[in-house]
Amino acid sequence: MRNSTIKNSLLTTASVLALLLVWKLLALYWNQELIMPSPETTLVKMWQVIQTDNFWPAVGYTLGRGLLGFFISCVVGLVAGFAAGFSPPVLWLLQPWVTVVRTIPVMSVIILAIIWFKTDIVPIFVTFLMIFPIIYSNVLSGIKNIDQQLLEMARMYRVKPRRIMTELYLPAILPYLLAGASNAMGITWKVIIAAEILSQPRFAIGTNLMIAKIDLETARVFAWTAVAIFISFVLEYALTALENRFKKWGQSQ
Amino acid sequence: MTFSLRHIDIRFGDLLVLHDLSMEVEEHKLTCILGPSGAGKTTLLNLISGSLQPQIGQIEGFEGKSISYLFQETRLLRWKTAEDNIDFVLKDHLSKTQRVEAINRYIEMVGLNEFRRYYPDQLSGGMKQRVAIARAFAFPSDILLMDEPFKGLDLQLKTSLMQAFINVWLTDKRSVFFVTHDLDEALLLGEEIFVLTPSPGKVKGVLINSIPHKDRDLNSPQLRSIKDRLYQLVTT
Repeated sequence: MRNSTIKNSLLTTASVLALLLVWKLLALYWNQELIMPSPETTLVKMWQVIQTDNFWPAVGYTLGRGLLGFFISCVVGLVAGFAAGFSPPVLWLLQPWVTVVRTIPVMSVIILAIIWFKTDIVPIFVTFLMIFPIIYSNVLSGIKNIDQQLLEMARMYRVKPRRIMTELYLPAILPYLLAGASNAMGITWKVIIAAEILSQPRFAIGTNLMIAKIDLETARVFAWTAVAIFISFVLEYALTALENRFKKWGQSQ
Repeated sequence: MTFSLRHIDIRFGDLLVLHDLSMEVEEHKLTCILGPSGAGKTTLLNLISGSLQPQIGQIEGFEGKSISYLFQETRLLRWKTAEDNIDFVLKDHLSKTQRVEAINRYIEMVGLNEFRRYYPDQLSGGMKQRVAIARAFAFPSDILLMDEPFKGLDLQLKTSLMQAFINVWLTDKRSVFFVTHDLDEALLLGEEIFVLTPSPGKVKGVLINSIPHKDRDLNSPQLRSIKDRLYQLVTT
């Protein structure tokens, strides 16, 4: 490991410790578990929560909804981004839709979705509306920034358009897609849990958060929040690692 | 078979790029087109490749010919290995066995056998240009167009790449049109050197260099005397 890397990870560790310290101090200051549970209480509560029958189904369903919404957004974003990237009419047709979707408040989408769909579908639908524009615009800018010299080379050597698509465009936009995806991954979990809180599916982290709040068990709110942070962190980290691996693909030789 | 361009005019808007340009070249020759920047050298290559039509004049001999290219940049795909980069351009034109054979042959010729599974990022600049040379020859073409592929390289690298190129070409004589502004490159590679005037481009004179490639040495008296004549032609 290089010196700077060691230094950086030391700094990160110090920062995490400082965060826990501030949390502990605040808990001591209020001295009321209802307002600010201490880190230890939260940890104990988390252990209890993990052991309930409800825990794994809730985590599993939330994870499933999030990944499904995310996956659908990626596929549709990729297809729409490609279509808009190659056809100006499609671009101009899609533009108003994407702008509307991008600016619509999350809460309006959730409320409308609850009116329109079954509770289990609501979080997926909301995630899609929030994530799709991110993926779409990243794919679009990947196509706009394609290396013209590579493209010219492929055309001059009379490579078939279908192969130019799959072997040149697709790998070249991969860094853009992954950058969008890792950005979108973090947002997915925020959106999905917000949607679950309002739509109350049977198994969901959001539902459990809401129940904990109704029970006035702030430590449990913290515990479920920590679980959500953990999921988000792991998945975002994995995608960022992928993103770094393929970062240079789009650049010219 | 002869390639001929007769009385070509090319105009982009108000700018006359080529004017009354004529040249005639035999098949399997290494033809150099020497000219300053702005002489329309790249435009001339675009005419040969058929991506540009002349407004005035005739072009003959290039129809239906398959063309491969060597650019100033290596233009390799980062996500493909050296051999897959070559395969990328062959796939739509050759059978599987022909492709394997062509890749093996030319990768070997440019001296990259050990590096065939390396990605461009793992190769030096010179090695990447060698992959591009192998790609140009592996592609089943009649004509090879080269647009200043040795520009901006240091002398040592340039010399070794030109040597690599000549070695391949001597075993497989495609008709080469090689554009450059560098006198030494033209002297070392060209069998016929067409000198162009600056804008608008027009053939100022032709020089034949019949010294065999393997005997060409910039310090030899024979090549020096050709260089003097070429220098005169360029400067007058």
